Amino acid sequence: MAETLARTPAHIVLISSLSGRYTGGAKEFDIEAKTLLDVIRALEERYPGLGEHLEEETSVAIDGEIHEVAYYHVLRPGCEIYFIPKIEGG
Amino acid sequence: MAKHHVTAALNGNSVEFLCETQQTLLDVLRDELQLTGSKEGCATGDCGACSVTIDGRLVCSCLVLGVEAQGKSIQTIEGMAQGDRLHPLQRKFLEHAALQCGICTPGILIAARSLLERNPDPSEGEVRYWLAGNLCRCTGYNKIVDAVLDAAREMRGS
Amino acid sequence: MDMKTTKPEEKAFKVVGTRPVRPDGVPKVTGQARYGADFALPGMLWGSILRSPHAHARIRAIDTSKAAALPGVKAVITSADFPEQEYEFIGPERVAVNFWHMTRNVMAREKVLYEGHAVAAVAATTRAIADAALELIEVDYAPLPHVIDVDAAMRPDAPLLFEDMITRGIEPPPAKPSNISKRIEFGIGDLAAGFAAADAIVEMDFTTAPVHQGYIEPHACLARFDNKGQGELWSASQGHFVVRAFTAKLLNMNIGDVLVHPAEIGGGFGGKTVIYVEPLAAALSRRSGHPVKIMMSREDVFKSTGPTSGASMTVKIGARKDGSIVAAEGLFKFQAGAFPGSPVMNATMCGFAPYNIPNVRSVGYDVVCNRPKSAAYRAPGSPISAFAVESVMDAVAAKIDMDPLKFRLLNACKTGTPTVWGPKHAHDGYAETLQALLAHPAYKAPLGKNQGRGVASGFWFNNGGESSATVHVNEDGTVVVATGSMDIGGSRASMAIMAAETLGIEYEAVRAIVADTASIGFTHVTGGSRVTFATGIAVVEACNKVIAELRARAAMIWKIEAADVAWESGCAKPAGAAAGKFEPMPLKAIAAKRALTGGPIGAEASVNAGGAAPGFASELCDVEVDPETGAVKILRFVVAQDVGRAIHPSYVEGQLHGGVVQGIGWALNEEYIYDDAGHLTNAGFLDYRIPVASDLPMIEAVLVEVPNPNHPYGVKGAGEVNIVPAMAAVANAINSAVGRRLTDLPMSPPKVLAAIDAGC
Repeated sequence: MAETLARTPAHIVLISSLSGRYTGGAKEFDIEAKTLLDVIRALEERYPGLGEHLEEETSVAIDGEIHEVAYYHVLRPGCEIYFIPKIEGG
Repeated sequence: MAKHHVTAALNGNSVEFLCETQQTLLDVLRDELQLTGSKEGCATGDCGACSVTIDGRLVCSCLVLGVEAQGKSIQTIEGMAQGDRLHPLQRKFLEHAALQCGICTPGILIAARSLLERNPDPSEGEVRYWLAGNLCRCTGYNKIVDAVLDAAREMRGS
Repeated sequence: MDMKTTKPEEKAFKVVGTRPVRPDGVPKVTGQARYGADFALPGMLWGSILRSPHAHARIRAIDTSKAAALPGVKAVITSADFPEQEYEFIGPERVAVNFWHMTRNVMAREKVLYEGHAVAAVAATTRAIADAALELIEVDYAPLPHVIDVDAAMRPDAPLLFEDMITRGIEPPPAKPSNISKRIEFGIGDLAAGFAAADAIVEMDFTTAPVHQGYIEPHACLARFDNKGQGELWSASQGHFVVRAFTAKLLNMNIGDVLVHPAEIGGGFGGKTVIYVEPLAAALSRRSGHPVKIMMSREDVFKSTGPTSGASMTVKIGARKDGSIVAAEGLFKFQAGAFPGSPVMNATMCGFAPYNIPNVRSVGYDVVCNRPKSAAYRAPGSPISAFAVESVMDAVAAKIDMDPLKFRLLNACKTGTPTVWGPKHAHDGYAETLQALLAHPAYKAPLGKNQGRGVASGFWFNNGGESSATVHVNEDGTVVVATGSMDIGGSRASMAIMAAETLGIEYEAVRAIVADTASIGFTHVTGGSRVTFATGIAVVEACNKVIAELRARAAMIWKIEAADVAWESGCAKPAGAAAGKFEPMPLKAIAAKRALTGGPIGAEASVNAGGAAPGFASELCDVEVDPETGAVKILRFVVAQDVGRAIHPSYVEGQLHGGVVQGIGWALNEEYIYDDAGHLTNAGFLDYRIPVASDLPMIEAVLVEVPNPNHPYGVKGAGEVNIVPAMAAVANAINSAVGRRLTDLPMSPPKVLAAIDAGC
């Protein structure tokens, strides 16, 4: 039942190096998505090359929690998603 | 060039080996006798990872030539436990988690035993100064000093 | 004395939080444990590496014929023995592996870029012959002007390491090449408006020296490769899967054709997440048909591996009289060494991360210069920017006449606080470390003449990522846990503890091992404080699969449904009265009936763990400064760190102690000293002085436990953040003792003395 209702879209934010390269400066997007795969697909569709870049070279913060980018992350309606550079430790 | 024939006592056993003139005792222990418990951290006598005793005296085996072992009694980490009985220092290092990576541990155990043979009741400061020639990059020395003091207490029977 | 503060509502654990002897303990106190240099094979040759005497030079030609002709020499290699690699940055931005760079770092091609850069290697029947052969290799160098300092390397007229390198991260890209590999910027809010609202603003410049990770074990490996394209390595590293991948790539081999055995590792601290000797030993072995062993000397380690970056920085912070920070700005210029890839991005992200600052901007530059390529070192980048930020925080607190801990507490980030890189913090923990220090008796203890007290804090992204584990139940009911994580400081113990807790059995019934690259799934490096978190999750998942299987086996024995079997305290039990009446069946009894019920019981779990909570640490340092010599003595040092939950508290405390002491060395002693020719003049432990036992008091660790809900036992990484605040804590203490703010690391006696004298 809930699935048939319109979901509150996820709010996506890119860092400026990505927006400069792929989106002509656009940094923030609202995308209806159930998983991170939906987000990556939608961005790739709009900006070819961006999806692959996100898969290969970024981490993702979903509501602040940092994950490696992976298709299977289930998204809360209205969640905040930041694609950020990957961090490597010592 | 002909190698030198050396006879010594190693951890209480008689041992013979051939070595080149320039080979250090550390090289001989590790490469000729396959006793790799003594570690090479610097080969310049600065880190103490290769500590052994020769006739009871604590030395860096990287600063001793193999030929100098002739007729001497050498103690390495491999001779510290008696059969299946760990030396109290070895036990205390495990109980106190006094090692992280463990590379400095053999040298520090040999050095600490040497301290306790001379001074069975060292202060924390005495432990710290005695072990100042043994570098540890992991532990910050806390648990090492704790373990040595605790082993000393146990060995004194108090 | 070490302490622990835990939130009261915690449920009790049986094994988690206890302090058993580590599984690999006895071999490590008896000299039996085998590290990178401790392996040998029949017919083994010794490899030795020829290194550049120049800081910067073009290689016109290399003639190896005389070396190859020396009796006993079985192989000589140069860069010609390694295939060219494509120029592309692959993977995460911070490490951005570029194999074009990597193959040139392990063996110089067109140019040597630092003193100690490898140019050729020899394998011979003895070490003496291998070393003698190096003398016979003729390299025709055309020396070039060099540059060591980061600010000098950024000047337009600086000698260029790469004549075609255009700065990344600037739009539009600059027209001219430079030594600046990359520019990074993060920011939120309105900086000008923020500073305009400030009552007090402090801006200061800082420099830090590059420091080496200083692991006591030099890099070493043994390689056995054949010319059919298969090979085996015994290597001490922080990640044998990474060694496998990099070595295979540099030798143009399939990953599956390289088997890497995990030797015990004698310290790494980030410096063994990359490779140096492995591809050389492998190439020599392939060429000679013999196993080849290479051990670096300590001088080689200093001149050609690590260190972390030196930096030049400017930090400005503005606050209101009431203590609220309104704006902050940081400029961070990092030496990458000879190839791009300093940890400057982390520095720009971490520096201001502990604070709630509405208007903040961080800019970073990654700059190449004629030094060894920088490598990760404990919370890479964060301690460097923290030195600047936390020094300025101290100065701002003084300017508005506020207690420095309370100033930090007032501005402390918590869940929901925005960060300079965009997303909001998702975890608490920082304020709790400040409260632990405020409540600590040391904070109120009296000080004597020439003594001072400093505090500082730090942030670090603990990592998650890919890890694999297997759990097998043995015939007698004991359990073997294998993971792909190198054990660098007790992780076998923490894996065994988590497995025992999950399965409900005794710690002693679990054997934890590190498996080779052919025996377990891919596991990322032991670094980034990730092992107890990510590999721990894999272990617990594998245990849970085993429990599901054990329940199914018990159900079969009882002839009921698996859903009607519960697992409790190491036993299968009927789940409620309806399931039937059976005596609890312990794991051991189920293991005994394994063949009757389907065969061996075991499971593997591979994860890509997310939700690693960051680490926060706050530190307090008391010093005494000798006004005659400028020598600084550390009198007392307290570190309060949020560790989530300490699985084996002794080894967690050890991480805190060790990280702090590395920070003290960085603060007071450690630096690379170059002469005018670009030669490193202190490439040994005598002149590059890491802290020794007599330099130090007992470090006092306070384990603050704010559990991470994303880990079954609440783990946050514990290995790194402890080093982050240390240099600023010492600098702030020196300032408190003598009224002089030192801004250049290390704060060695001559610098401290000069600062005191400058004030007279």
